[in-house]
Amino acid sequence: MKLKKSLIYAIGLSLIAIIAWEIYWRSEGFTTSIDDNDALWAVERAKVDELSKDDVVLIGSSRVHFDIQLDKWEEKTGKRPIQLASGGSSPLPVFHDIVNTSNFNGTILVGVTPPLFFSTTFPEAQPWAWPLARVNHFHNRTYAQRLNHQLSIPLQKSFAFLSENKGVDGLKLNELINKIKIGKRSKNTNPMPPFHDFSVMALDRNVRMKKRMETDTAYANTVKRVWQFFFESDGPPPDKKSTMAFFLKDLEKFKAKGGNVILLRCPSSDEFREIEKKITPRDTVWDELVAKSGIKTYHFEDYHQFQNLTLPEWSHLKADHADYFTEELIKILKEDNALLNQKTN
Amino acid sequence: MLFNSLSFILFLIIVLAFYYSKILNWTNKKRMLLLSSYVFYGMWNPPLVILLWVSTIIDWTAGKQLAIEDNQKKRKMWLMLSMLVNLGFLGFFKYGDFLLENFVTIVNSIGIDFEAKPMDIILPMGISFYTFQTMSYTIDMYKRKTERARTFLDFALYVTFFPQLVAGPIVRAKNLITQFYEEKKATSEQFIWGLFLLTIGLFQKIVLADTLLSETTDNVFGSDKLLHGIDAWVGTIAFSGQIFFDFAGYSTCAIGIALMLGIVLPDNFRYPYASLGFSDLWKRWHISLSSWLKDYLYIPLGGNRHGITRMYVALMLTMLLGGLWHGAAWTFMIWGGLHGTYLILERLQKRHLPFKITKWNGIFLAFITFSCVNITWVFFRARTFEKAWSMIKSMFYMQTDGEKILDTFTIIKVTTVIAIMFLCHWLMRNTSMKAVSLKTPSWVLGVIWAIMTFLIIIAQGSGEQFIYFQF
Repeated sequence: MKLKKSLIYAIGLSLIAIIAWEIYWRSEGFTTSIDDNDALWAVERAKVDELSKDDVVLIGSSRVHFDIQLDKWEEKTGKRPIQLASGGSSPLPVFHDIVNTSNFNGTILVGVTPPLFFSTTFPEAQPWAWPLARVNHFHNRTYAQRLNHQLSIPLQKSFAFLSENKGVDGLKLNELINKIKIGKRSKNTNPMPPFHDFSVMALDRNVRMKKRMETDTAYANTVKRVWQFFFESDGPPPDKKSTMAFFLKDLEKFKAKGGNVILLRCPSSDEFREIEKKITPRDTVWDELVAKSGIKTYHFEDYHQFQNLTLPEWSHLKADHADYFTEELIKILKEDNALLNQKTN
Repeated sequence: MLFNSLSFILFLIIVLAFYYSKILNWTNKKRMLLLSSYVFYGMWNPPLVILLWVSTIIDWTAGKQLAIEDNQKKRKMWLMLSMLVNLGFLGFFKYGDFLLENFVTIVNSIGIDFEAKPMDIILPMGISFYTFQTMSYTIDMYKRKTERARTFLDFALYVTFFPQLVAGPIVRAKNLITQFYEEKKATSEQFIWGLFLLTIGLFQKIVLADTLLSETTDNVFGSDKLLHGIDAWVGTIAFSGQIFFDFAGYSTCAIGIALMLGIVLPDNFRYPYASLGFSDLWKRWHISLSSWLKDYLYIPLGGNRHGITRMYVALMLTMLLGGLWHGAAWTFMIWGGLHGTYLILERLQKRHLPFKITKWNGIFLAFITFSCVNITWVFFRARTFEKAWSMIKSMFYMQTDGEKILDTFTIIKVTTVIAIMFLCHWLMRNTSMKAVSLKTPSWVLGVIWAIMTFLIIIAQGSGEQFIYFQF
């Protein structure tokens, strides 16, 4: 009977503690969110194997992820694309995987963020390792992992404190503990400024920029400071030769299967644009890729519609401008017969 | 399936619902448990369930023949068949690549130019545990130390019982199969105590091992830099705590889950870091493996029946093979060899320099034992000899210009957790959790339980694998 009493105390106190924890984090401005983890990505990747020739798959880095809105795309074309783009990633490992391990031969829209697209083919380098980890997870995930993910969704939708975010927005116990700093014993401390999560993720991996990025300049500036930190870091130079060769080889293979590939250069602005011009100039990088690939390509600089868009942190479009960008892009793609299937009205 | 996952919570609820429903009789409940155990295993990699079936069928057949056969030659043949299949599985799946690598090294060293493509064999989860468990059945049958399992269902459930299938405790047939003969149902006290043990096990794994210690271990052992002595020691004691909480956490979960079904599993850990010497350590750490090695390896090798030298050889061989059981690498052999050396030195000390352990020198002796154990963990955790040797040099200040990679808070965090763990082991070494809980007011136990549950939930363990699954 003694244990029964302890159990009742334990259940009661645990419930009170969890409710209080949830209320506290909501009062701090945190809301429920879906984690953009390997499991979520793998669910979308699995859908590619079931797609028809009319379908579209989006790959690339965070710009395609933020700037193309799936609802708008579906509204204008009648088809909802599969979103496989991931922040900080090269699209090449994902393109390679789709070309070599699936039968898909529809349209793949490849987002080209030059510093990432042309970064590397070295498997250990971050822009390659991140997407490759997702590809590997998709191929190796166990049934238990699939079920864990499905069971986690209702919980993620219900509790704000359940989040896989790391760093300044991390709410996991180890993330909270790691925020405690005493002294400066180690030189190995991460010098990167606090990097706030500025996205809202949907279950199908559609991403919209947080409204706060438009209204809170200080908040948007924290993200800019992170970009500036990367600009000042000593990273390896782009590897145009091997990245382009890698892509072109897979491109030929995909074309031979009857597939259609579109290259899209999404907008960037201010300091970000300047640094891109410096390390990956259009004439020596993008233009060469266009010439060698022989496919439909679209650069935001070539369209007047895309000249006055708002990018609160220089790299991604605010939510309503992402809707506009998607809508205008589809008009352009349709006029150009770039899509294999188009809604006629 | 991992205990620290949402799918397992759902799985356990379904199993318990069927187990305690009135629609199934005892035989059907056992069938349900068996089927659930295959689902539990198959959710990781379904085809590898076939290995479990093969092991089950071979050992059931061998056991049956050993029970009815009187011809000693034929009995030996049946035993050899069981050993061959189980050790063959282990040899192929666990040691295949290791043997190939060493073969290539040897032939290259004698001037033959030979290259072999790694076989990249997948290691079936828990293979070292279930093969040792089924082998204990056939060996005991051969020695006529245990009764033959009454039905195939009882035997198959013994091999596959999901709470202890993938990481033990390695249970002897006479202790588990006999529990399946009569209908089992946990009393409400047993059920709640089982739930409490499950919570403690998850707390050890998710909060203590994964949240508080694993990152420090990974940073120190993953660093390719020459480390400062403090960093090397803190990384090592962090691993010491991590592996204990990880493995003891799994065993505590397994014991708790089985108890919720009314099945009693033996203890696998008894506060090992407060051991007074190494013989004591191996009576407290991974008890089910050390008793297995003692009964089926050390004693058959002669034990202490053939003089001191032979005993030391048997001891060293047992520990070396015990090291190899943990993984196919020479670093594990070194780990086993160090423990063998400690045991031999301890016996020499007892013979030539005996002293009485009192309450005053006891904690000092426990601390010395714990420190020596920490040195062995360096070889267990390091992926290469070079890394292990670099760590040892840093730990003993043989290099003074080591880099400081850990921040002050991490050092405080790890040393605090490990100091508390050591003191808890010392205070608990002659008692049990159950005995302490009986003396604790119910509201205090309830508050401790709630704190553990709360920390497990906010730690949001994302299904980190248990370390011992790889062994």
